[in-house]
Amino acid sequence: MSAGLLAQYAVIALAVVASAAVVMRKQFPNVTRRLRIAIALPLLRDGAPAWIKPLGRAIAPPARGAGKGCDGCDNCGPD
Amino acid sequence: MNAAVAELHAKDMHAKSPRIALVGNPNCGKTALFNQLTGSRQKVANYAGVTVERKEGRLTGPSGRQYAVLDLPGAYSLNAASLDEAVTRDLIRGFYPGEPAPDLLVCVVDATNLRLHLRFVLELRAQGKPMLVALNMADAARRRGIAIDVEALQRELGIPVVETVAVQRGGADALVRQLEASVAMPHEALPGLPADADLHAEVRRLLSLAVSMPRRTAAIDDALDRWLLNPVVGLLVLGLVMFLIFQAVYAWATPLMDLIDAGTAWFGGAVSNAMPEGPLRSLLVDGIIAGTGGVIVFLPQILILFAFILALEESGYLPRAAFLLDRSMAAAGLSGRSFIPLLSSFACAVPGIMSTRSIQDPRDRIATILVAPLMTCSARLPVYALLIGAFIPARKVGLLGMNVFNLQGLVLFALYAAGVLSALAVAWLMKKWRRDKSEHALLLELPSYRIPHPRDLLIGLWERAMIFLKRVGGIILALTILLWFLLSFPGAPAGAAGPVIDYSFAGRIGHAMTAVFAPIGFNWQICIALIPGLAAREVVVSSLATVYALSVSDDAAAQALSPLISSGWSVATALSLLVWFIYAPGCISTLATIKRETGSWQKVVVATVYLFALAYAASFVTYQVAVAMGAG
Repeated sequence: MSAGLLAQYAVIALAVVASAAVVMRKQFPNVTRRLRIAIALPLLRDGAPAWIKPLGRAIAPPARGAGKGCDGCDNCGPD
Repeated sequence: MNAAVAELHAKDMHAKSPRIALVGNPNCGKTALFNQLTGSRQKVANYAGVTVERKEGRLTGPSGRQYAVLDLPGAYSLNAASLDEAVTRDLIRGFYPGEPAPDLLVCVVDATNLRLHLRFVLELRAQGKPMLVALNMADAARRRGIAIDVEALQRELGIPVVETVAVQRGGADALVRQLEASVAMPHEALPGLPADADLHAEVRRLLSLAVSMPRRTAAIDDALDRWLLNPVVGLLVLGLVMFLIFQAVYAWATPLMDLIDAGTAWFGGAVSNAMPEGPLRSLLVDGIIAGTGGVIVFLPQILILFAFILALEESGYLPRAAFLLDRSMAAAGLSGRSFIPLLSSFACAVPGIMSTRSIQDPRDRIATILVAPLMTCSARLPVYALLIGAFIPARKVGLLGMNVFNLQGLVLFALYAAGVLSALAVAWLMKKWRRDKSEHALLLELPSYRIPHPRDLLIGLWERAMIFLKRVGGIILALTILLWFLLSFPGAPAGAAGPVIDYSFAGRIGHAMTAVFAPIGFNWQICIALIPGLAAREVVVSSLATVYALSVSDDAAAQALSPLISSGWSVATALSLLVWFIYAPGCISTLATIKRETGSWQKVVVATVYLFALAYAASFVTYQVAVAMGAG
């Protein structure tokens, strides 16, 4: 396989992974949130290496505000 | 940060940013005022029940002080009769989960309708909280000759009263100045009225002291209502208005759609010529450009439809339509109160279902939630437009030799009407099955008519366009990329004789699905497009565009979906798919909203199963009848 073709497949792989993440986040926000928490918690536990904690914080979902229920339809207009 | 420190920090932040709640009767301009104060662009319209959730924004006063401004759902009383009124009651009293009580209440009243709105002012004043009154729509009151002695009203109420015009630049300046003064002032609880006081009598006393009005309602409103609320003429006008909207959607949109179509085809060709052949070019040309371009072409039709809906919302006509349809809706087991949620569902079922919170009767609310997905949401418009454009000839038809109606517009109108009639039929069936068959009278406030402001219409259209483009650039693009991947991999095995796409993941799934969908005329390409269509209906169009772009070898042909399907499908298949989309099960967001609003998985299952069964049965009958008539 040529380097050019390999690069094309790498770009496609990135696009597919990013698309899957967008679909999960928009269509299944609660499942995605729980999944992010489950992945982030072990990375943030006491005793985890210091270098891995920033990764855990990046994966952890942001705090949820009261009263905001979003089902990802993108139809609510500007907030 | 431990819990105690977090609490202290929260208290500190709270002290820095006083919380101001905008409260008042529905349709008095709270949200317009909220937008004016905070620079937000929340939806406003000229009818009650637009806001059903609390909204929060930030305001910086002239002194530089920050305020948290809350926009609460409209309420006629603190004795809540519906879910949205309960939100307002709980928040004002400090019982809303996770929210402290507001530091200051701004009771917004409609200056043209003080007889109704002052009653809630008195009820709120009895709460003993810091409060001021915003006399909104002061300009409209002056135009109608209503003279309000603000000083006298302020004196009698014992709280500050300021005039505001929420829809005018600078129309809330006096309110902001008063806010700063009120927050800085120490609060003294006012002596309230006795517990058994007659609030209506007190309102009449206040009106006699501070307000003089030539007549209770506007003369123009009365004149228009004589015709528009007439049970015969009114219904004819309503039907005519709806009919003309769908004619305009087709008559006006075509030139712009042709332009976008040509632009997409040119762009696809340019990218195709500029790149060497390979998987990345296929992703860009056959996937992203063909897929998203196939959807974006319908933007003009969506905007024309929304221009009319926004104009009707602003005009104050919609509550009249609800009043006119109350009798037929009651016969079907719904109430006139269901009209606004069902109308909102023409944009999207999600806000439509959420706005059922303003329906007081839980039984009517559930019935409305379950039939809301039958209203034709804007996401279905691209699917209808694609199929109508491909299979219905673009010619004029009419009666008595006067060919003035666009046939494609007529078919679109018929599809929307079929959705509405089906919703009424389903609601009627639900009524037959339930034990409580009592009917509830419709109590609905009819607002004054208003000429829609072109600026508001343009802002509304801009927002709709952004919502649509955000969907195209977000979920539709993501699903198109995923579908392209599933249609392109794995490649055909060595020595394979059939088309490459048949061996892909999606090709195999599509072929397997035809076992279920062949009786209703769906080929494997349609079957595969139905799956991503569960996320967003428009994706059916982009999916079909991608499937066909990958199926044909000619690049130019790949960019034009409509001729591909008109030559590849029978009329019976197209009709069957059109009928499928009248009933097609709600998208995932709609189902999630049903779960959230009803708190019941059972309702979600009921909605999914009945919509799927209805869609399948109606498509089956349509397809088989069409085939029997020779359209197969």
